[in-house]
Amino acid sequence: MDIFANLVNGIIGVLSPTTLLFLCIGVLVGMFVGAIPGLGASAGLAILLPLTFGLDPTTAIVMLAAVYYGAMYGNTITAVLINTPGDSAGVATILEGHPMAQKGRAGPALVIAAAASFVAGTIAVVLLTITAPLMAGMAASFGPPEIFLLVVIGLLTLVVLVGRNWQRGLISVLIGFAIGTVGIDVGGGTQRYTFGSTELINGIDFIPVAIGLFGLGEILWTLYRGGHRGGATPMRLDRRTGPFWPSREEWRLARGPIARNTPLGFVLGVIPGAGATVASLIAYSLEKGLSKRPERFGKGAVEGLAAPESANNAAATGAMVPLLTLGIPGSASTAVLLGGFLMWGLQPGPLLMAQEPEFAWGLISSMYLGNVMLLLVSVFCIPLFAAVTKTPFRTLGPLVIILCAFGAFAVNGSVVEVGIMFACGVLGFFMRMYGLTPAATVIALVLGPIAEETLRQTLLLDGGMEVFVQRTPSLVLLAVLVLVLCAPLLGAPLKRAAAGFVRARRPAGAAGTGESGDAGDAGTDGPRGTPGDDSGSGPEDARRHEVSGGG
Amino acid sequence: MPLKKTGILLASATLLATVTACGAGTAVQENPDNYPSKELDWTVAFGPGGGNDIMSRTIVDILKQEELYPQDIVVENREGGSGAKGWGHLLSNSGDPYVISTTSGSFITTPLQADTGWTHADFTHIGLFATDDMLFVTPESSGLKTWEDWVDHAKDKGKVSVGGIGTVNVDYIIQAALADQAGYEIEYIPFNEEGQLQTALSSGSLDAIVSNPGSILGQVESGDVNPLLFTGPERMKALPDVPTGEEKGYEGLVSMPRGLILPPDAPDYAREWWIATMKKVVKTKAWQDYLDKNHLTADVRWGDDFTVYLEDTSARFEKELKEQGAI
Repeated sequence: MDIFANLVNGIIGVLSPTTLLFLCIGVLVGMFVGAIPGLGASAGLAILLPLTFGLDPTTAIVMLAAVYYGAMYGNTITAVLINTPGDSAGVATILEGHPMAQKGRAGPALVIAAAASFVAGTIAVVLLTITAPLMAGMAASFGPPEIFLLVVIGLLTLVVLVGRNWQRGLISVLIGFAIGTVGIDVGGGTQRYTFGSTELINGIDFIPVAIGLFGLGEILWTLYRGGHRGGATPMRLDRRTGPFWPSREEWRLARGPIARNTPLGFVLGVIPGAGATVASLIAYSLEKGLSKRPERFGKGAVEGLAAPESANNAAATGAMVPLLTLGIPGSASTAVLLGGFLMWGLQPGPLLMAQEPEFAWGLISSMYLGNVMLLLVSVFCIPLFAAVTKTPFRTLGPLVIILCAFGAFAVNGSVVEVGIMFACGVLGFFMRMYGLTPAATVIALVLGPIAEETLRQTLLLDGGMEVFVQRTPSLVLLAVLVLVLCAPLLGAPLKRAAAGFVRARRPAGAAGTGESGDAGDAGTDGPRGTPGDDSGSGPEDARRHEVSGGG
Repeated sequence: MPLKKTGILLASATLLATVTACGAGTAVQENPDNYPSKELDWTVAFGPGGGNDIMSRTIVDILKQEELYPQDIVVENREGGSGAKGWGHLLSNSGDPYVISTTSGSFITTPLQADTGWTHADFTHIGLFATDDMLFVTPESSGLKTWEDWVDHAKDKGKVSVGGIGTVNVDYIIQAALADQAGYEIEYIPFNEEGQLQTALSSGSLDAIVSNPGSILGQVESGDVNPLLFTGPERMKALPDVPTGEEKGYEGLVSMPRGLILPPDAPDYAREWWIATMKKVVKTKAWQDYLDKNHLTADVRWGDDFTVYLEDTSARFEKELKEQGAI
């Protein structure tokens, strides 16, 4: 096929020792930039873009694609190890990633995340190659009413995040909405809650809030609970479970979510706006909904990590569709890349792929090679990163606080944002104390203003509310919305029945969350069920997995 | 105990933040004949890849290629608060001839809508080199191919939905001015970013938008949108068939000034040096290429002429925005 010939040509085009070196450097730089709390892919690209001024576009894009993927994985590292997302699409990653690290499974969490990203990235590149023109049509049909409905679907997944305690969940969401109202109201141009400060006219950025609520809030909470006194600190790796490869059981659990959420992430990523964030949230709640034992979620369920990671990565590739086929940036990172196109003297638009095939396919192939390079580099680096969890809290805690302050400052070079970060750290601490959900706050902060803006745009358009039922794409989304709303009503009795069935079968079929390690240190281990999870599975169960697993 | 420790941590981190924030330089006396003898701090008040950034890096590139500036130039993106931060950096370095920045539409609009502590009049104006104008487009599916078609359609429909970026912005002023003078009614729908604005047009939500030629020209070439009107003083080289607003007799179609400024109270010798140097820069081929590629309109005004231009433009912005009730 012609397009595959293009892809192969593209790969051959960028396969030279120099570009491979650039790729490797880009991935490493991206990984380290991404590993600083708050610095995500878009920040990494923005930092490095000026360096490419005057470079040959294809060489420049190779390095930037590598930084893009490196930074996305760097984000995952921080999300898993110190509970801080690097961008809004990473919030879903911390929900299971960090609990896994706390249980001493940081290594497997990082490997699963890398593998999920790699598989999703690979499939997404193939999807991009085949379906780009088709998808471009879809992206072009998403106006304000559709984006609004999509964001509402994303917000509905918050119900899944906050769980049973809905009053506290609601308060968490409202805090996020409230923070989101600060800044110049794009609909009318008036200032809301800025108190005349120029620092606040563009609103409160997601990044310092997320770093504060998650990173600093977690440190303060750990201090409060006496984590610094050594002993059983949540930051420490359980010495008995050293392996960094996931067990066969964990691989098995991750397989389904990756397969399901890659296409989902890709399709949602194509949509300009909040594609990647909504995709990772939907992926997470989808897996929680499908799971036979949803009670494991929030305590380090592998599925809940693999799902958003693959959706997130596929969405990042999906975001390239509108960029390459329409010249429209669908996310913060692709907006920076679009600036790069202009900087290198290329004209973005529907004709880019026809007029600059070498560049366009070079970009697609370097995205793919970036994925491969990332997998290789991360396999070497994961033991290093996973060692972070062995650091005693009294050393790690202050380091994380410095990193948090640095990250909050580095994004926009703003001291005010560092202040916001510290304020949110204190807020995060009290939220933990009173059982509120910081993740819901952060998601509400990201999606709230988009929902507000697109709803107001929709209402300004002639037709008002009727617009929602007059347009085909919005009708489809409305149907999905109704489905999402009704699913819990219909699903609850069914799930209860299923759960009862599973429990009855448990002695035979249940496995731990994959706590079996390699055969080497297995003998000294004894029972390895996760506390509070699988108290029923004894030594016998564990041994059975040692035989089969032992990765 | 934990609370006390938290206090200490907070204190130490605040200290760290303060230390990093203290980088501002002060003006230094020097012999005017020696200027420039130091590293130049070039502030871009917006993010990398934007119009302002590309212009800054082009000028710096030319200065280096032609060896016009004998020392190092450090370009830094100080984005935030719609330019308030970057130009605020110049304000806090008053009198320093080694801090410099480029202007854009926000240079005029941001002080109109927020208490920035400065206005365009505070700075030392070197010169204007070009203006950034807008292209008015309709979707291809609308079948509206000329400006007259559009005006008829808009009048027939009663009220049309048009879009642009932001409210206190060039986009809004242009849409309002065009509708006023051509005699049709609009519902202006503001967007935060170009991507969502363009998809709103392609999805059929909007009847027309104004967009930066650089970002929409690709879709013009592919035939996805019809270009109806250009707001600059002369027709675009790339689109010689598209009429300008002036030809159609419209006034008040403001544009973004692309110029160069020094901090307030910068010494005269520095200003003179920069005027002389930039006169050489705008004559280079690299500069012409930049104007062509980014579809800017050359509009060169030096020193006091630039000051007068800024005053006029600002007065027009303020008048239009007040009339529309945006500020």
